[in-house]
Amino acid sequence: MADQGGSQHGIARTSRTRTPAQKQADLERIQQYRALEAHLRTAVSSSNYSRETFDLTTKLLRLNPEYYTAWNVRRRTLTFGLFSRRSDGCSCSRGCSSSSRSGTTTMSFGASSCSCSTRTPPGRGCRRTGRSGTTADAPVAQEEEKDEEEEEEEAAQKKDLETVKSELAFTFPLLLESPKCYWIWSYRLWILDQSILLLPVADAKKIWQEELGLTSKMLSKDRRNFHAWGYRRHVVGQLESDELGGESLVESEFGYTDRMIRADLSNFSAWHSRSTLIPRLLDERGAGEKEREDFLKTELNLIREALDVGPEDQSLWYYHQFLVDNIVSPVGRPTIVPTLTVDERVVYLTNEITNIKDLLEDYEDVKLIYEALLEYTLGLCQLEERKPEEDERQDLIDWVKKLKELDPMRMGRWVDLKRDYGLTELLPGGRG
Amino acid sequence: MTGAFQQLPEELKLATSAHVKYIQSLDTRQDEYDYWLTEHLRLNGVYWGLTALHLLGVPEGLPRSETIDFVLSCQHEDGGFGAAPGHDAHMLSTVSAVQILAMVDAFDELETRGKGKAQVGKYIANLQNRQTGTFAGDEWGEEDTRFLYGAFNALSLLGLMDLIDVDKAVDYVAACANFDGGYGVSPGAESHSGQIFTCVASLTIAKRQDLIDKERLGKWLSERQLANGGLNGRPEKKEDVCYSWWVLSSLEMIGKTHWIDRDKLINFILQCQDTEKGGISDRPGDMVDVWHTLFGITGLSLLGYPGLELVDEVYCLPKSTITRIFGP
Amino acid sequence: MESLADTLWDVVICGTGLQQSLLALALSRSDKKVLHIDPNDFYGGAEAAFSLQEVESWVEKVEAGKEGLFEAASVEKLEGDTGLSFPRAYSLALAPQLIHARSTLLSQLVSSRAYRQVEFLAVGSFSIFKPSPDSSQKPTLVRIPSTREDVFSTTAISAKAKRGLMKFLKFVLDYDSTPQTATWQPHADAPLTEFLLKEFKMDQELQTYIITLTLSLDGKINTRDGLAVIRRHLSSMGMYGPGFAALYPKWGGLSEIAQVSCRAGAVGGAVYMLGTGVKTMNNKEDPIVIELTSGDTIKTRKVVRANESATDHSGINRLVAVVGSSLKSLFESTVEGAPTPAVAIVAFPAGSLSTAAGEASKSPVYLSVHSSDTGECPVNQSVLYFTTGSEHASKDLLQQALDSFLAAVAGDTVPQCLYKLQYKQLQSSAQSQASGSIFDFAPPATALAFDDSTLQSVHDAWKMVLGDEAVEEEYLTFADREGAMDDDEVYD
Repeated sequence: MADQGGSQHGIARTSRTRTPAQKQADLERIQQYRALEAHLRTAVSSSNYSRETFDLTTKLLRLNPEYYTAWNVRRRTLTFGLFSRRSDGCSCSRGCSSSSRSGTTTMSFGASSCSCSTRTPPGRGCRRTGRSGTTADAPVAQEEEKDEEEEEEEAAQKKDLETVKSELAFTFPLLLESPKCYWIWSYRLWILDQSILLLPVADAKKIWQEELGLTSKMLSKDRRNFHAWGYRRHVVGQLESDELGGESLVESEFGYTDRMIRADLSNFSAWHSRSTLIPRLLDERGAGEKEREDFLKTELNLIREALDVGPEDQSLWYYHQFLVDNIVSPVGRPTIVPTLTVDERVVYLTNEITNIKDLLEDYEDVKLIYEALLEYTLGLCQLEERKPEEDERQDLIDWVKKLKELDPMRMGRWVDLKRDYGLTELLPGGRG
Repeated sequence: MTGAFQQLPEELKLATSAHVKYIQSLDTRQDEYDYWLTEHLRLNGVYWGLTALHLLGVPEGLPRSETIDFVLSCQHEDGGFGAAPGHDAHMLSTVSAVQILAMVDAFDELETRGKGKAQVGKYIANLQNRQTGTFAGDEWGEEDTRFLYGAFNALSLLGLMDLIDVDKAVDYVAACANFDGGYGVSPGAESHSGQIFTCVASLTIAKRQDLIDKERLGKWLSERQLANGGLNGRPEKKEDVCYSWWVLSSLEMIGKTHWIDRDKLINFILQCQDTEKGGISDRPGDMVDVWHTLFGITGLSLLGYPGLELVDEVYCLPKSTITRIFGP
Repeated sequence: MESLADTLWDVVICGTGLQQSLLALALSRSDKKVLHIDPNDFYGGAEAAFSLQEVESWVEKVEAGKEGLFEAASVEKLEGDTGLSFPRAYSLALAPQLIHARSTLLSQLVSSRAYRQVEFLAVGSFSIFKPSPDSSQKPTLVRIPSTREDVFSTTAISAKAKRGLMKFLKFVLDYDSTPQTATWQPHADAPLTEFLLKEFKMDQELQTYIITLTLSLDGKINTRDGLAVIRRHLSSMGMYGPGFAALYPKWGGLSEIAQVSCRAGAVGGAVYMLGTGVKTMNNKEDPIVIELTSGDTIKTRKVVRANESATDHSGINRLVAVVGSSLKSLFESTVEGAPTPAVAIVAFPAGSLSTAAGEASKSPVYLSVHSSDTGECPVNQSVLYFTTGSEHASKDLLQQALDSFLAAVAGDTVPQCLYKLQYKQLQSSAQSQASGSIFDFAPPATALAFDDSTLQSVHDAWKMVLGDEAVEEEYLTFADREGAMDDDEVYD
């Protein structure tokens, strides 16, 4: 149903005829590929999750990173032996005996195991403690362990750290080559989750922090890659979580959207991300009424300046709409300025409408300006709980007319709009 | 509209027989490397091709019994289906399996020769995250509203919606809504046409369209149409035939298909055909594939292109299949 | 190997300037017998890059009148221990040119695989020098906004002016399609400034921004040429990454490309002889008989050489200065994800400088600032390349520009100039041309940005050499020579 890769995007149509030599070359490649596949299947059918099987997945996935079953086999080889998993299931040797089963379900792969929770790391007590001390939630009482066991533990963690790192290094070039392949992203996340399960917090945290750098890199290559944006949100969420003893990254993420926008105003992904960060940002700043109003003003200024240079850009108008939403309909959503009175809101909105009208002086043929004027003028009436004044009505009629002219493709919408708001010139609307 | 089509130049008519041949030829390309590289999509591919054939009016275009045999050969003990024999079970291939069996009216074969409907339902239901309501794609836990829709689609076809917590799933979908009226892959994620389809269709299956801000969503969706008639998936992105499905079906579900220029879209889709060898590509002049071929055809079907069977905008199956299962 | 004299050469290429070197690259996969000589004992001809030692011997040669295209060369060093490093720590380019991302030169380097041996650096901001309004203030450098995002972020211009500028930028990107052509064609031969004023109501300041982007040495570029150059700049923006429109090859600019091309020629079997020129040539015969300065007499079917006889004495004046500061503020990347630039351009518009006699400058001075990332100087130093169209007292003007620039970038202290090289490069109106079996390249252009028209004559020369054997599709299109990665090898 949905796109899982395998579809052709942006590749020029070429003649499908192949020369005999090309055909022969294809046959040879197919033979090699299928032999590799057969080899892997044999291993899997005999539950052979050895290093050799792991190496087979490496070869296969480099040829075809969409081969999800090979990613799964790779996970199994890691949990079966390549990660330092202890024989008693959960490898946490201390302080988590009670919750150890939850540690293993995430690593199990029997046919009956569902595990929607695999992405959720196991209970807190299950994480191993770092070398330098304990995490806040690890029971300190059981600290008196044998040195030998500790050494073993350290060696195991060191090995796991190496494995995690090499897995991340393995997927990186694949991701660069296939930045839209779901399976690589999801495998990478799984590896990162393993780092939380297997490594001391400090190490795991460092790995997750580096991951933030990777998303920046991916996003500077393709600023709109929604895999990378979603992944970034997830990475930030994990870094902020108790699991990693994290602190809020909302300020730095907000700053990141700023930089991304300044690199490319059309980056709606960045504007969107900005809109989702704002409620938390203001809360965490402990912003009072004045700070909130100042914040709104700054954002309105920012988007106005952007619209000055890009009035034909949808991204900018969506963000403007988001701000206007915060002015017009405060109820029910986290909002920037929850305490403004209706009169104050009217002032803000009227001001925006005036500014947008001013854009028309230089950009009279940009249809998005008329759309915004229509919507906001109707919003103003709604805010004041009244019908449009006669001069507003005339404006609305003119704007719809302009929209029909500039944007005939969406004629149906303009016709509906006219009907829904009774914007017909012949029928005098009368004052509300 | 029909009158207008008769005047279209030859290259701007639907090359029905070429497309049928193209789809039928897909399984004969075993001497091409790509055939093997895409095996992880085989079952989905059968669904794409078969649906397209049904809509093109050639439902028997792929042999029925072999199709059923193949589908059942992909099933695992736990009820889930892999993309091909030897591939792990996954939500996406499981949904394709159910859709194919629905199309060829073979749920009974699933009972007699497969692991049974109940087992399939159980497999899918087990992938629901009971805390959040959303669904994972498989045991490894990737979550995405695509999987939630897949679960709703397959379970409702099987009549097994009671196996899952629908309300919780609906709440989750509602939490994916953005200020622009669209939906993302998870709460907080940017609106994306594909994801909008999965969310709007899920809410439609759950009979909860009341949760949709139709005006705003309609506005966002209608702005996806670009000057050349094609639709894009997000603001400031390029057009692509597959959005003829994601955007258009969503518009159809909320009753606003007339908010875009349908003739221009038809024109765009037709320009993406390979009229000679069959198949439809993402953009004019690019390589064709079965996935874009299906979504070009479903788009045309929704647009009322003459001679095509009607497609159901929620299930992406022929209307006739949906009517047979749910009644008129 | 056969001796020089015993071989019948298919072509003798004389000189290793960029054009001759690209020709050698273009012929490197043919089975032609190529003898590539250069009377200089260095590669690159008029595009060479020198260590300080090489600079000195070059200056001597210029002064002796042995470097046809150059005159009035001099070197000045600060006395004492100034922090100047050892001579080979420098690589000063005689004619540094930036290469726009859309240039065909880059696509040819890619298709010929020669790019693998070149390291490209980003050319960052373009700024304008603004003299201090009064003696209490420093002069300043103001960045020229050349993308929508720049215009958005700049605080130097008003909202109204921003809209005007955006309209122009949008117009230029599409200026040669139908509705737009009607706007500019009536002004095609008039100065661009006039057009900007009449059609876009741009004030002097915005005009200066736009003219600077053209890198026009006299500031008088016409509308037709100006629009083409600006479009090249704007459409190059972001092509190879965010925040930059042009590239510069590490280790001395075009000289590096010439060397890489010659190396490819050598790998392809061409024979190289530096310090060897043509003493006499008899082209009445077929094959042509050449007596080399080395004393050898050789025979060749074709000859390709450069016309280095300057036809008039107009030219440009250059000043190359090494300064003892990294000038960090000029090389900050301002866009998320952008590489750190290694080159920054500064323009001193006409009128912004005044000569010692108190006269305002009549034509602009351009400055290309190179950080040590270019490999042209050691860390914590920079190389400044000033250029101006020749005018009376221009030497004086360049000194003014240097002093003013250093004042503008001064922090607590004014960066010190450690080393100065000055010279005049002559221009020529000569065109590249073929006559019979001889091809003459025009002298290299003195523009600040690489001009793709240079490549046409390389192509013409290639066709002359190969004659009927020339296959257009194969021109500068080669596979990797060896070590081309085979999937299986990599993955096993």
